[in-house]
Amino acid sequence: MEERLDVRFLKKLGSFRLDVALTLGTEIGVIFGPSGAGKSQTLRVLVGLSKPDEGYIKLNGRVLADASKKVSVPPKDRRIGLVFQELSLFPHLTALENVAYGLKCGDRLEVAAEWLHMVRLDGLSDRYPHQLSGGQRQRVALARALAPGPDLLLLDEPFNALDGPVRRALRRELKDLFNETKTPIIYVTHDIEDVCSMADRVFFIRDGELAASIPVQSLWDPSVQGSIWHSLGWGTLVHGTVEERSGLCWIVWDGGRLALPPTVRVKGDVTAFVAPHHVKLLYHDLPVDLELEDNVMEGVVAERVVLGGTTRLFVRACNLQWQVEFLNGSYVTMELSEGQRVRMAVKPGCIYILGSAPNSCPLDPCTETQFEQERSAPFPALDEKGEMAYEGEDLDHRGSLGASSLARSHTDRR
Amino acid sequence: MISSLVLSLKVLAVDVPLLLVIGTSLGWLLARRNFRGKEALSLLILLPVVLPPSVLGLYLLMLLGHVPLMRELGLLFSFPAAAMAPLFPSLPIMVQSARSGFASVDVGLEDAARTLGDGELAVFWRVSFPIAKRFLMAGLALASARALGDFGVTLMIAGNIPGRTQTLPLYIYSRVEALDFAGANMAAILLTGVGVMSLWLVRRMEGVHGGAS
Repeated sequence: MEERLDVRFLKKLGSFRLDVALTLGTEIGVIFGPSGAGKSQTLRVLVGLSKPDEGYIKLNGRVLADASKKVSVPPKDRRIGLVFQELSLFPHLTALENVAYGLKCGDRLEVAAEWLHMVRLDGLSDRYPHQLSGGQRQRVALARALAPGPDLLLLDEPFNALDGPVRRALRRELKDLFNETKTPIIYVTHDIEDVCSMADRVFFIRDGELAASIPVQSLWDPSVQGSIWHSLGWGTLVHGTVEERSGLCWIVWDGGRLALPPTVRVKGDVTAFVAPHHVKLLYHDLPVDLELEDNVMEGVVAERVVLGGTTRLFVRACNLQWQVEFLNGSYVTMELSEGQRVRMAVKPGCIYILGSAPNSCPLDPCTETQFEQERSAPFPALDEKGEMAYEGEDLDHRGSLGASSLARSHTDRR
Repeated sequence: MISSLVLSLKVLAVDVPLLLVIGTSLGWLLARRNFRGKEALSLLILLPVVLPPSVLGLYLLMLLGHVPLMRELGLLFSFPAAAMAPLFPSLPIMVQSARSGFASVDVGLEDAARTLGDGELAVFWRVSFPIAKRFLMAGLALASARALGDFGVTLMIAGNIPGRTQTLPLYIYSRVEALDFAGANMAAILLTGVGVMSLWLVRRMEGVHGGAS
């Protein structure tokens, strides 16, 4: 595939080193890794809000930054769109004006209105950001970044604060937009579900080092995936056998077993992935959630690491070392020093079986994690009707309709 | 009284634009840029708040009356001095408001504007200024009221010359000295009215009304 983005740079931030090498064609790349690994910083350097100390950034053959020649094109001339994690919609502008912000042509408001139509926000163009729901704000931010026709679109954990259905709908929408605009996309996430549902190519980032780049298909190739996941060094891998007992599916290994969600179809030897923030610690004196009842494990804290705003525990339990991650300030009443005995549990829905078909998540996504609940800002329940209709059958209809109008607006502007 | 009122309005006509431009620039500089001597500058701007007006006026008198080039300008005891004097005690109010206004603008919004094709000037006019506008207007209302009511500094460097430098506050003082309480009261009511109005304006600017956040 033709190479459009070619990046190699080093950025020092205090004692933290960000070392990035990646290339991307006309495809969706996902940067995947734990919080604090340097994902957002990578995007800031790409878009020009932060200058690399060494190395270069090239987009479509254009040099955007070259530290050795002291070249750094300012963000305004890079033609890179960025959807910020906090969205950063302009509070003093309406949805329409937000989308039109980056447009310089004479008919900017008409073009912006077309974009609002594309992201299904007709009729909401006069609303201010605080009058929109979370999902609607996401779509305004997406349209705003895409409207000026960027050469590259970057998204920083854009769907983090949203709940399951809206999230899935927006992912589909983003894929549709990619298919229509053919703008390469880099999408940053720490959610495995985003990787399998969106990406053509995955970049793993860990402790500031981004090097491994894997087409998503081979991510699910059993012959290589083990080493990839190990090299990521994040989350817990469980090698076991899927068995059916007392009407439930279980993954069984030497030392323990966990209940799987009823949707699991695979049989035999598998590898499962459990993200650190999906392992929940349990209070000794409180009753266990019914959903977690089958999947309670007892273990001993082997190590405790505090990274930025999160705490990561390494817990030995059931013959495995589990990574448990939570926001600092959770579980403050619990004694969690090294050597301490703890009880913990994993929701069946949060266990991902690796090695199934490419580009599809085998399990129902685990949406209501504690992690997300703590992060998500409550958004006003305005127009939730529109949100639901969006899940419906007219999605495909919209896709084809949008394509033609978009193609037109693109040619108009150039 | 009419001549004093006209004079006060003239002083405001000069000072309000100056307060807006100088106060906004300094506030932006202090909120958004890091440079050597930033702390010193911010303290220097705040100094008139803690200094008695007579002390401030005395220093200005020495500056304008003794320093060679300044002396040649012949500003003392003339309209320019009357226009300049209220700036010193009122500017800190404007700068503080502008500074906290710009500091309250999320840097992420300015970054977003940059990625959408804006240069620094456009970022200021399209994002920082409109979002900080409420703070700026509230600051301007308070600072203008303070400027209108200035007594000490004006008296020290512009004197109390009816028709030339006698602004409303000085007029009140002169009337009381002449035991003309009726005249003093007229002017006092006028100034009180302006003060209350500026407070009401500040309330409106800071109020939940519009609440774009």
